[in-house]
Amino acid sequence: MAEKKKINKKLIAGIAILAVLVAAFAIIFSVFRAKPVEGSKAITIEVVDKEQKSTVYDVKTDAEYLRQAMEEAEGLEFSGTESEYGLMVDTVNGLTADFSVDGSYWGFFVNGKYCDYGIDSQPVLDGDAFQIVYTISIAE
Amino acid sequence: MRKKSRLINTTLDITLIGLMVAVIEVCKMALLGLPNIELTTFWIIMFTIFFGSKILFVIPVFILLEGCMFGFGIWWVMYLYMWPSLALIAWCCRRQESVWFWSILSALYGLFFGFFCAIPYVVIGAVDGGIRSGLYAGFTWWVAGIPYDLAHCVGNLVLMLVLYHPVRLVMKEVQRAFR
Repeated sequence: MAEKKKINKKLIAGIAILAVLVAAFAIIFSVFRAKPVEGSKAITIEVVDKEQKSTVYDVKTDAEYLRQAMEEAEGLEFSGTESEYGLMVDTVNGLTADFSVDGSYWGFFVNGKYCDYGIDSQPVLDGDAFQIVYTISIAE
Repeated sequence: MRKKSRLINTTLDITLIGLMVAVIEVCKMALLGLPNIELTTFWIIMFTIFFGSKILFVIPVFILLEGCMFGFGIWWVMYLYMWPSLALIAWCCRRQESVWFWSILSALYGLFFGFFCAIPYVVIGAVDGGIRSGLYAGFTWWVAGIPYDLAHCVGNLVLMLVLYHPVRLVMKEVQRAFR
């Protein structure tokens, strides 16, 4: 009887040690595991609509080009037509610019200058400030 | 006159060693799709308990076969000390008959498998960038694999709990036949 008790005690101790070690390993993993790194570039995307109302999106991204960064911007919605130069944006946050109707379009700026490329090829650098501005062509 | 003890006495021994390697290898292949669920630990423990010194031939052949089949990578270096260490521990505890003892031992072995397998990474890191860099390399490698070690631990525990008694009975019969 005493022998059985002794064996039971050893068994419980063994299981307890195993359980403690498993828990310790799980804690070590949750503390030290490689955590996903936030995007290494911090940029801003400002949308200026028809009424000159501005909405700014702060984006942390690893995107190489503007389109991907725009897709990562939470709350920013955009659409357009695909072309050989990439996506031609005609609608941003539900507001459509139609050049054929009133000469309006969405102008893209980076650090105050007009973007040289379409959004699929416009490079994204750390600290860039992009603007997407609802614009009406003066010629119209 | 007492018969002089040798590691291998007969062709029967050689056959037995071959069979042991085959059993380990077949089980390993059968479970290859499951991450860190393996019967190698179980069989090495059982073969060490029941066939003692013959495991000294089984493990090198098994390790060599593994290298030939999967390539001689860094994992192979880990095998060189991990499986012999398990056999040594099992041999030291060979008089134990409790299923719980062997189950907990198997579970601990699975749990610490990644920890001890990190040693080559510590060495490589230390050679490249000093001991601090080596310890960092080993630590990060070990931590990344902890979920697999936990699976290994649970797998070893369950497999030993389920298989110990039935296989032990068969082993006793085989041991008797070979004597």
